[in-house]
Amino acid sequence: MASLTVRKNVDHLGASELKALRAGYAKAQTIMDNRGYNYYAGLHGIPNWFCWHHSHVQGSNISANLFLPWHRAYLLHFEKAIRDQSPAIPKVGLPWWDWSSSQSHITGVPTAFSTATVSGQPNPLFRARIVAPSANPPINRMTRRFPGSPAQLPTAAQVQNVLNLSQFTDFTNQLENIHDGIHGWTGGNNGTVGGDMGSVATAAWDPIFWSHHCMIDRLWYLWQLKHGVATITPGLLQMVLTPFGLKVQDVLSTTQLGYTYAVSFVQL
Amino acid sequence: MATKKKPAKSTKGTTKTAYTLTADKAYRVAKIYKSTKTASVDAMPSEYVRADIEFIGVQHAGASYEARVFVNNPNANAETQLIQGNGYAGSFYVFGHGGCFGDAGHCDIHPHRDEFDPRRSHPLEPIKKFVIATDVIKAAATGGSSINITVVPVVTSWTEQVEDIQDCLQFDHINLVTYY
Repeated sequence: MASLTVRKNVDHLGASELKALRAGYAKAQTIMDNRGYNYYAGLHGIPNWFCWHHSHVQGSNISANLFLPWHRAYLLHFEKAIRDQSPAIPKVGLPWWDWSSSQSHITGVPTAFSTATVSGQPNPLFRARIVAPSANPPINRMTRRFPGSPAQLPTAAQVQNVLNLSQFTDFTNQLENIHDGIHGWTGGNNGTVGGDMGSVATAAWDPIFWSHHCMIDRLWYLWQLKHGVATITPGLLQMVLTPFGLKVQDVLSTTQLGYTYAVSFVQL
Repeated sequence: MATKKKPAKSTKGTTKTAYTLTADKAYRVAKIYKSTKTASVDAMPSEYVRADIEFIGVQHAGASYEARVFVNNPNANAETQLIQGNGYAGSFYVFGHGGCFGDAGHCDIHPHRDEFDPRRSHPLEPIKKFVIATDVIKAAATGGSSINITVVPVVTSWTEQVEDIQDCLQFDHINLVTYY
């Protein structure tokens, strides 16, 4: 238990934890090979398009919605990549953005992500550079974000209604629907063009993408606590989560993946 | 030059009303869907515990938007308050791909080839969306003899590659499904 990574609410991170997280993002954003931020962001939409949303048929006639397992594997790999570039102590875990909280209904995007500079330096959680030379047209620019009104964010009651759904298929469809809305809300627009979170093609470059999905992953974790870890369509368990080398059955338990979403954790 | 994604087909059975207003700087209103066919209340079971309004074959290649679903309120628009008294049944959200960023043919949907093809289906295959609308459907069934659906798309985000924001709402048909 002691070696588990505890993923925390971004609003509850200590100063040293936030500093370490920013250091990891900043370093990763300077690396253009397969250790870097640009590589991982490019797995979701342009140019590689591995992301799994909705239902797809793969290799058989089974229609599979692997939205939750695929993004769990994606976050895990990204978290490891960020930690590789972060200080060893404190141990960095991806923080989650609770867009349903009363705080978010006041501030919208958390200040950790909305502050343009920190100590005179660019905040690596505010934006990142998209480098996608193989896109048509090629893209090389900083991410954009035009979030909507905080009052439009989902409420805790809406989230609870989804957590109460007992069937996995129902749950994942309704949670993905909320997820879709958050993408559009966060990307938003300036009247002329939208922000990057609002497009599958570029969403993963916005640094808040990872904390949005961390919240989605946490809600799956909470649902699993209530309805069972293995409560998923059996026919999906052997399906492979490309390109992460994991099967669906490998990502059902967060503790087996080395992390948890405990609100508090004390080692005695 | 990339092939831009065109709407696969016009939505069946619709009367579309074009809105060009921008309600505020935060979103745009696109063409509203109004069903021309109605569901007869007599054809529905007398008892059910859940009613879903399903949207089959939803396109998601372009902009991201909220689709506000209203029952028996053909005059609903982006200014309509989202309360049950106005027939508001819920919203579904589309996380759009943002247009085509590939080479020619990249966004053309090919049918799944055969059972030996290990690749998954094309990312732009149309999807199903639904809202759980039990209370609104029951209220409509109690108060009238038929049910019609209006969908108000409110566009939140798009890219330079999205050609047609006004026609973002595209789907094949609607199912009204009840469960015991």
